[in-house]
Amino acid sequence: MSKRKLKILLFSLLPLLLLGFLAFRAFENSAAYYYTISEVQAKEVLEQKLRVKGQLVEDSVFYDATLPLLVFRLTDGDAYIEASYPGVLPDNFHHSEEVIIEGTLDSQGEFQVSKLMLQCPSKYEGEE
Amino acid sequence: MSYVGVVSLYLAVFFGVSALILSLLTLREKKQRIGLMAGRAGALSTLCILTATLGLVVAFLINDFSIAYVSRHSARNLPVLYRVSALWAGQSGSLLLWVLILSSLTFVVQRVKRYQKDDLGIRLGIVMQAVCLVFLLLLLFIATPFERLTTSPYDGSGLNPMLQSLGMVFHPPLLFLGFSGFLVPFAFAVVGLWTNDLEGDWLGHVMKWVLFSWLFLTAGIVTGGQWAYNELGWGGYWAWDPVENSSFFPWLTSTALLHILCLPLEHSTRRVWSYILIVITYGLTIFATFLTRSGILDSVHAFAGGVLGQAFLAVLLILLVFSLVLGWSRRRVLVSTEKGDTNYKSSGMAIPITLGSILLLMLCAGVFFGTMFPVLSRLFAAREVVLDRGFFNQLSVPLFLAILFLMSLSPLLRKEVSGRVWIRRLALPVLSAVAVGIYAYSIEAGGIGTLAFALAAFGIVSHVPILLQFRSLRRWGGGLVHLGVLIVMVGVTGSSIFVEDIHVSVNPGQEIVLGEYTLQYEGLKAQYGSDRYHVGTTLKIMADGLERGEITSVKTFWEGRSQPSTKVGIFSTFKEDLYLNLAGWEQPVAQLHLQRFALVGWIWVGSWIIYGGALVALLADLKFRFKGRQVRLWSRQMR
Repeated sequence: MSKRKLKILLFSLLPLLLLGFLAFRAFENSAAYYYTISEVQAKEVLEQKLRVKGQLVEDSVFYDATLPLLVFRLTDGDAYIEASYPGVLPDNFHHSEEVIIEGTLDSQGEFQVSKLMLQCPSKYEGEE
Repeated sequence: MSYVGVVSLYLAVFFGVSALILSLLTLREKKQRIGLMAGRAGALSTLCILTATLGLVVAFLINDFSIAYVSRHSARNLPVLYRVSALWAGQSGSLLLWVLILSSLTFVVQRVKRYQKDDLGIRLGIVMQAVCLVFLLLLLFIATPFERLTTSPYDGSGLNPMLQSLGMVFHPPLLFLGFSGFLVPFAFAVVGLWTNDLEGDWLGHVMKWVLFSWLFLTAGIVTGGQWAYNELGWGGYWAWDPVENSSFFPWLTSTALLHILCLPLEHSTRRVWSYILIVITYGLTIFATFLTRSGILDSVHAFAGGVLGQAFLAVLLILLVFSLVLGWSRRRVLVSTEKGDTNYKSSGMAIPITLGSILLLMLCAGVFFGTMFPVLSRLFAAREVVLDRGFFNQLSVPLFLAILFLMSLSPLLRKEVSGRVWIRRLALPVLSAVAVGIYAYSIEAGGIGTLAFALAAFGIVSHVPILLQFRSLRRWGGGLVHLGVLIVMVGVTGSSIFVEDIHVSVNPGQEIVLGEYTLQYEGLKAQYGSDRYHVGTTLKIMADGLERGEITSVKTFWEGRSQPSTKVGIFSTFKEDLYLNLAGWEQPVAQLHLQRFALVGWIWVGSWIIYGGALVALLADLKFRFKGRQVRLWSRQMR
């Protein structure tokens, strides 16, 4: 192998290996697995970071601003889960088309939310 | 108004196609008259798109709610400024603005005098006009903003209160300008390969356009972060969200490109890499639009998904295949080493610049991998897996530190800096790094924080000599950009490490201690408007027994709408920001969410320094004819 080829190989392989190592190291504790609400309800998964998508159940929202604590129920049509989020109620919470929660399931089957993401209709429609 | 818009857009397509055909004819027939006609057709196309855009703006101003887009994004009581900016509040309006920018750029590039030699302007026009037409057709047939409603409502739905802010007036146009600007380097690359330009002249023109687009892209990203910080109320400016990342990819690749272009050599490595990076950067700007519009990833920035996303993906694929085929079939142009590579090693900058570019590309690849991981896991595993913020932080911090290290060292790596001078130049930066490092360690910045602060201090001091000598404006501007980036990095490090976050419930008269400040709560105030009412609170900020200012957060409730909007309060000093969010209340008790971030202000100050530096470097490249004499500042040829 010529010296030039070796250099090119080194310059392209080394960054890739390094990047692979960094990505591998960063992967721990940051992966969240998508589960459906039915799966979560069957309590198949404990002690793993989860991400769940669902619709907000109407009239299920309880908010205590003093703690703060936000408790709500999500459904996928068939099943539902209870979720509690220790944070401030977002302005557009009631308006969300879809709520995505990330966190873990505790032994009581309640979802402890660490990150709350809301997807709103991009078309901002007022209620007449 | 909608007819004006639609007719103008069709006319724009007609004139655009005519310009394309006439330009191709000019190349074959070599007749100047046809070339002139081609130019005029192109100008008319731009004019038509401008008319359509203005038509939509007028529709917003006169409250023409028969147009669906207007009724969806505006209302009678919307302030005039936001009625104009509502133009880019939705998908089709944004695309219209995008097409207008593309078309205007085409118009400008075709008219630069310097590009008139050897049909360069005509060829550039052909490439750019073709891309313009593709987007124009998408606009007409997939996402037209001129769709009419069958019955015109009395009032529109109004603009999302979150979008009623100065940040959203500036952020989208700046970003679009940055994105579409990268079409110009792409056009130069295509023309260079098309004409078998063995001398590599095309590369000489590329720099200022890359810099131009980079400047706007940077400003677009920063204003986006600033908007999130001021409006969204979660107290951050960057969350590694897919949509944010997607604008970061082309930023990273174009930053690498800028540095590769700085290499003083006609080496084939430079040509090959410039071509690759130009293509990748332009591809990534289209990919960014695809990501935001397709709904393929879950993002907090929710946009309507659908067909437009797929259309963008198709455009992207065509673009990549085209570039690959062109690059391969004309690889002789890219790898020719006519002028040799004698300069390569003589400049001390070659190795650090190469290393730095590799680091930037690694960062881009890593963030790209993390962002696309949900899609990859969907393809290769049964379950979708998402990587959270922790992944991106852990991945990027070592790379950022390495980039910081190289950047801080860069002023000392020049060839003319050697021997004694080198040691003398090194002394002051090292001293300041040690001093700042010890201080940072003493205030518990942690290992990484200490290292970052020390490196940044080293870099800021080592860049001073460059800024004190005015040998070349471009180099001075470049030095200033580096300084700005270093200051931004100080701000980012500070605001990620020194954070305080408290939730409190307070009675009137009660005090809250936050850092070295004492905040006094005096109760809630309500205010009624015609269609809304506000509930807010103002806290007095005290430190050392003196009043330092106040901070106000207000929640607004709109008539006929269940969603309130909250305006956070920010008290900003050189050292830190206090951030107040009114979370709720039970008269007279208020529940407050208070946060404290160190050095956030440095990010905004640093970004202004970056703009200044980039502007200086940009102007340094243009020549200005003043009373017959050339002054290197501005060019009259560039109208």
